Amino acid sequence: MTPFHRKTEPDHTGDHTWRLPIFLAMAALWLGILWSPSPSWAGTLFAKQDDVKVTADKAPTSTVVAILKLGDAVTVLSEEGRLAKVKTASGKTGWVFKFRLSEERPSSGSGLGLSGLTGRKTIAARESRAGGSIRGLKESTEQYAKEKQIKQEHRDAVDRMEAFSLPPDEFLEFKKAGHLGEFSGGAQ
Amino acid sequence: MNRLRRIVSLGILCLIFPSMGCAGFLDDLLAPPPPTKQEPASSQDGTAKESPDLIQGLGEAFGLKKKKIDLLKKGVGVVEALQPIGEEEEIVLGEAVAVEAFSRFGGEFPNQAWNRYLNLVGETIVEVSDRPTLDFHFAILNSQEQNAFAAPGGYIFITVGLLKSLNNEAELAGVLAHEVAHVTKQHMLETIRRGAVLGSVSEFTLAAMKKDPKMFSNVIDQMTDVLFTKGLDQEKEFEADVVGIEYAYRAGYHPQGLKDYLLTLAKAEGQAQSRFFTTHPSTRERIGKIDTVLNGYSDLQGLPFLTTRFRQYVKAG
Repeated sequence: MTPFHRKTEPDHTGDHTWRLPIFLAMAALWLGILWSPSPSWAGTLFAKQDDVKVTADKAPTSTVVAILKLGDAVTVLSEEGRLAKVKTASGKTGWVFKFRLSEERPSSGSGLGLSGLTGRKTIAARESRAGGSIRGLKESTEQYAKEKQIKQEHRDAVDRMEAFSLPPDEFLEFKKAGHLGEFSGGAQ
Repeated sequence: MNRLRRIVSLGILCLIFPSMGCAGFLDDLLAPPPPTKQEPASSQDGTAKESPDLIQGLGEAFGLKKKKIDLLKKGVGVVEALQPIGEEEEIVLGEAVAVEAFSRFGGEFPNQAWNRYLNLVGETIVEVSDRPTLDFHFAILNSQEQNAFAAPGGYIFITVGLLKSLNNEAELAGVLAHEVAHVTKQHMLETIRRGAVLGSVSEFTLAAMKKDPKMFSNVIDQMTDVLFTKGLDQEKEFEADVVGIEYAYRAGYHPQGLKDYLLTLAKAEGQAQSRFFTTHPSTRERIGKIDTVLNGYSDLQGLPFLTTRFRQYVKAG
C-alpha cells in the first residue's frame, strides 16, 4: 500500500495524533486572548495615577478644569512638546503633562490567569504589620530579622523609610523651582 | 476531514466567545469522542476526575488521551510557577531585603536634610515611571563605598559614598532612575522566579511565605546575594540604563546624568574600592550603549543638570 493510499483511507486506526497540535494551537490562541492587554484606541490615553490635573492653559498653574483618577480615559486632541491637549469623558478640554498618561489602561491586577486553567487556586492575603499596629514592619520581616539577629536600629530604619512622606506643596514647589515634571520643557 | 473542519470551526467560535468556552460550551457542542478513546473514570491519582477544568474539558473534547492531558496540565503548572509574583508579595520581600541593606551597609545615614532631598528627586522620577502607583521609598546608607541598589517593592538605596561623588542633581536623578527601572521592570523578581529556590515552587503567596519561613529566608538570601555580591544579569543592567534614561528625560532632567556619573566612576575604576564594579557590567561598555540611546533624543537642549541646587543640598550639608 502506497503512502498516498494510506492518506486517503478513512481513519480506522484510531490514531488521533493530529488532534494534539490543533489543540495546542487553539489553547495558545485562547491564552493570548486571556492575557492580551486591553486594546487602546488611537487618540485615547489613560491616567496612570490619581490626581492628574487637566488645566485650562498650558501653564500647570492655570485653572484646573478636571482631575483625572487612575484609569480615566481622555481623548488626545493634539500634542505640544511635553503636553497633550485632551478632552475628558465629561467633555471638558484642557492640557495635561503627557508623561502622566499611558497608552494602556492600567490593569486591575485581577484576571483568570493559569490558576483557573489548572483548576488550582492561590490564596492571597494582605499581610498585617507585626503587633497589629499601623506602623512597624511586616510579620514576615520581623520574623526574618529576629532569626538573622538583625539589630533593632536597622529594623527601625526601614520603618522610618516607609513612614517618610513629602507634603504635596513641597513636592510641587521642588519641581517648579527645578523646571521638572509638569514644569519641565519650558512650561511654567 | 469533515470532522477536522467541524472542530476548527467550533474552535473559532470558542475563541470568539471565550466565556462560553469557559462555561463548558465546547463540551455541549462537540461530538463526544469515540467510546474506544474514553479513558476509564478512575485514574492513577484521580486528580483529573476530581478537578475538572478547562484543559481537562478541552482535552477530552478533542479526544486526547488522559496521559496527554495530564502532561499538558503539568506543562501549564510549570508555566504557572513562572507567573509574576504579586505586588503584595513583592513588597514583603523588599522590606526584608531593606532590613538586610541597612544591616550590611553601615545603617541609616543620619542626615534628614539629605534624606529629604533624595526623596524629592526620587519621587520626581517615580511620578513619570511606569509604576507611579507603587509606594517607593528612598534611603541613604552610611557606607563610604560607592553603591546603589533597588530591592523589590520600591526600596531604593544609595550609599553616602556614591552621593558625595556626584556633581549635580541630573546625575543623582540618573542613578535613582536606573534603580527605579529595576523595580518597574521587576528584574530581581524575574531573577528569583527562575532561581534555585523558587524554580520548583508552584505558588509563592503571602500565606505560603508565612507557612514556610525557611523558604522565605532562602529567597531573601538569594536576593541579597544577587544584589550585594553577584549582581543582576548584564542584560537587565543595560535595560535599566535605557529605561532609567527615559524616566530621567520624562521627569525633565537632562538624561545625560547617568553617563556623567559613569564617566566619573570609570576614572576611579581600578582605584576605588567598590562593589559597584562587581555587581554591574563594564562601565566603558555601558557608556558606549548609553551614548547610542542619548543620540535618539532630539530635544535635550535646555534640560537642566541643577548643579547649584545639588550643591546647596548635598555639598553644603
